[in-house]
Amino acid sequence: MTAPGAAQTGFDPSGAYRLHRQAELRDEPFGALAYHFGTRRLSFIKAPILVDVVRALGDSVSVDEALQRCAVPEFQRPAILHALAGLAVSQMIEPRA
Amino acid sequence: MSDPDLIENTTVATTEYTDETDETDQPPEPDELLTETLVEEVSIDGMCGVY
Repeated sequence: MTAPGAAQTGFDPSGAYRLHRQAELRDEPFGALAYHFGTRRLSFIKAPILVDVVRALGDSVSVDEALQRCAVPEFQRPAILHALAGLAVSQMIEPRA
Repeated sequence: MSDPDLIENTTVATTEYTDETDETDQPPEPDELLTETLVEEVSIDGMCGVY
């Protein structure tokens, strides 16, 4: 599946990603707060399932696998992929070799 | 694990807390709106003295 906006961001759901090494997550009632110590940006991740996916990225061979591991329903995947593409642009997640 | 209503119905207004002012005030692209439903970004640059 191609993430909406992927062409502009270079985000590849078939690739391996992880939480950026300079970013940390803090659980919040609404989902999680992500802070990047390099860019000094905060991202409010407002869906717990998206938080689960971000955390699963580091142990998954691809974004698609992380979505499967987190049992993301098919109808939610476009929105989740789009949000992940945005997190890649803001460097909250990064490609993993 | 998740609430489908949250995914579909959450609305967000992204706010930039910087010292710079965007004078163009362009409406966001549709793709931006979709991303903003799940993620809201804020920069803390320029907030010195607030906390």
